[in-house]
Amino acid sequence: MEVLLGITGKDFTLIAASKAAMRGATVLKAADDKTRSLNKHTLMAFSGEAGDTIQFAEYIQANAQLYSMRNGIDLSPSAVANFVRGELASSLRSRKPYNVNLLLGGVDPITLKPSLYWLDYLASLAPLPYAAHGYAQYYCLSILDKHHHPDIDYEQGLKILRMCTDELKRRLPIDFKGMLVKVITKDGIKEVEYNDDARVACP
Amino acid sequence: MDTLVAQYSRPMFEKENNYDEDQMDLYNPAPSMSLKFAMPPIAQPSAWLRAATDDHANPDCPIKIAHGTTTLAFRFQGGIIVATDSRATAGNWIASQTVKKVIEINSCLLGTMAGGAADCQYWLAYLGMQCRLYELRHHRRISVAAASKILANLVYSYKGRGLSMGTMCAGVTPSEGPALYYIDSDGTRLAGNMFCVGSGQTFAYGVLDAEYSYDLSEEEALALGSRSILAATHRDAYSGGFINLYHVKEDGWVKHGFNDTNPIFWKTKLEKGEFSNVTSEMV
Amino acid sequence: MAMFSQNPLMNGPNYSFSQTPSTAAAGNKEHSFYPYTDNGGSTLAISGNDFTIIAGDTRSTSGYNINTRYSPKVFKIGGTTSSQDDATLVLSVVGFAADGAALKERLDAIVKMYRYQHGKPMSVKACAQRLSTILYGKRFFPYYVTAILGGLDEEGKGAVYSYDPVGSYEREQCRAAGAAASLIMPFLDNQVNYKNQYIPGSGEGHALQEREKIPLPRNEVEDLVKDAFDSAVERHIEVGDGLQMLIITKSGIEEKYLPLKKD
Repeated sequence: MEVLLGITGKDFTLIAASKAAMRGATVLKAADDKTRSLNKHTLMAFSGEAGDTIQFAEYIQANAQLYSMRNGIDLSPSAVANFVRGELASSLRSRKPYNVNLLLGGVDPITLKPSLYWLDYLASLAPLPYAAHGYAQYYCLSILDKHHHPDIDYEQGLKILRMCTDELKRRLPIDFKGMLVKVITKDGIKEVEYNDDARVACP
Repeated sequence: MDTLVAQYSRPMFEKENNYDEDQMDLYNPAPSMSLKFAMPPIAQPSAWLRAATDDHANPDCPIKIAHGTTTLAFRFQGGIIVATDSRATAGNWIASQTVKKVIEINSCLLGTMAGGAADCQYWLAYLGMQCRLYELRHHRRISVAAASKILANLVYSYKGRGLSMGTMCAGVTPSEGPALYYIDSDGTRLAGNMFCVGSGQTFAYGVLDAEYSYDLSEEEALALGSRSILAATHRDAYSGGFINLYHVKEDGWVKHGFNDTNPIFWKTKLEKGEFSNVTSEMV
Repeated sequence: MAMFSQNPLMNGPNYSFSQTPSTAAAGNKEHSFYPYTDNGGSTLAISGNDFTIIAGDTRSTSGYNINTRYSPKVFKIGGTTSSQDDATLVLSVVGFAADGAALKERLDAIVKMYRYQHGKPMSVKACAQRLSTILYGKRFFPYYVTAILGGLDEEGKGAVYSYDPVGSYEREQCRAAGAAASLIMPFLDNQVNYKNQYIPGSGEGHALQEREKIPLPRNEVEDLVKDAFDSAVERHIEVGDGLQMLIITKSGIEEKYLPLKKD
């Protein structure tokens, strides 16, 4: 029951991932970071099969960074997304595919356009204004459908994210230990102070 | 076609006495540790191995592999406490009550053993070797982060082939201070302050979570580690035997005994009044 | 074309291991790949202050059939000659006899090579570690055996190392393995390690004091081994016929053979 959420606005992309690392019936860690930054303004959040997730994310991270070192320029978010899709597609056809679902958020350093890409382990790639993975989809997409506009500012984005996480706290049967939230703007990636302590009661 | 076939196939009698590399390995006295493993001559070795050895999927499998059980480790102000039970089971049979589930990788690094006993023993020994090689090559001790990652990457490369291990690496280095990592055979590697691993993990967590604080004194921490294992041995049938206690400090680890659970249980019950579910009469 | 010839001699036997089915379509066939059988029997090892005794019965069974009444399960390892007169180590294997024989041959070859290359016999400690890596080398296609290794350590004290099929090992005071392990091991816990034995009148219930552990003399251990096997024969069909005992002391390895009931 891992939660991944992504929301774009007029000049930012928000990525949120649940903080619980679960194995069987046990929460092994309540402050897990399920994201990796690929370059200055591209962030990837991941969920899926234990082991595969981090191995794949760090493999992508290393390749994105290698590209930056070799060429003296970062890959744009769309370039990264298509590269990741290619890697997932060839993995899918290998003897042992990576079982990883991803959200890729970024802001293009040249056009300054925010972007969000949804990828699953079958190597589907979709550029979206907002996206979610796992059970979060069932609860959050309707909320986002209702409240999201492409030109929302950062505060409005956070407000919508709060609506989503509150709903998850209210309805998901398993405690996912709150969300780790990061924002990507033209200035780079920043972690957002996100208050998780408030209890949300189910009516 | 005939020449092609002749080129690639040999008559059986030639195959009979072929001392291939595999065979020659026998006569090399030094173990290679070169990660070459014999495989059954079939297309899906992992499914076959599961049928032959895995006692969860297949309770009457012919080869019973010894499994380890409750282990815990936590970080506190004075370093890291590592505690384990000592029971090994193969199905319902208690194969041993005196297993050393804390594996001393070197004077500053400890590993714990849950899951397949042989998997843990072998790969932690392998890790010890890699750590020593790192020291010789770089003239400094390896960080716990790096050591745990060697192990995590290694087991990840065997993912799906049937390894079974849940292990913790605890150690102190000048660069990191006391560090604790959880690594399991599906490739998970997590840094953290506290982990319990094995079939008795939930029982150990119960006691440990309630009393844990980072500011525990050394004595309190040791007592808590020991008490948490005791709780697990009491409720989990796959855990038992002796309590193995270690304390990792700045200048390496210190062993704090390998003590029989039975007297500790009675002492705890009689002196503290705990375990009131245990009575001297039938009720 | 040898490949398509009808001559079985040219083709080799059809179950040849070297002709691996490589497609998943052969999955149905693979279910029948079962290269193991259980040949029964039991082994037992006890270490003393200056000796180690390793014993095993000599019956070999398959199912309810008795194949032979004299098939050894305990072997001297690493002597200079094939007679193994100057060996210092003993290996016992129980489970699948063919794997056991293969394991014995392999360990013997390695320990012999060690002697030739280092000019000294291998210590039990080193041999124990090496045996573990040999077993683990077949982690994904295990030897179907439970092994016990015995010898004298660097201080001349008796040493017993016990193994699981894939190489986890531990030094112990005593160990029983094989078909009657569950019959013999509890007896050993009680009679060798004095488990659950308390000094009479030393207290009530859990306040009782444990009986003091003293190292057992050789003749008493021999009697324990004999009693253990006699009892196992009474209650287990796969154990019987003969008892082979190897006693390792600093003056060499002494072999004893005692009859067991043959029904």
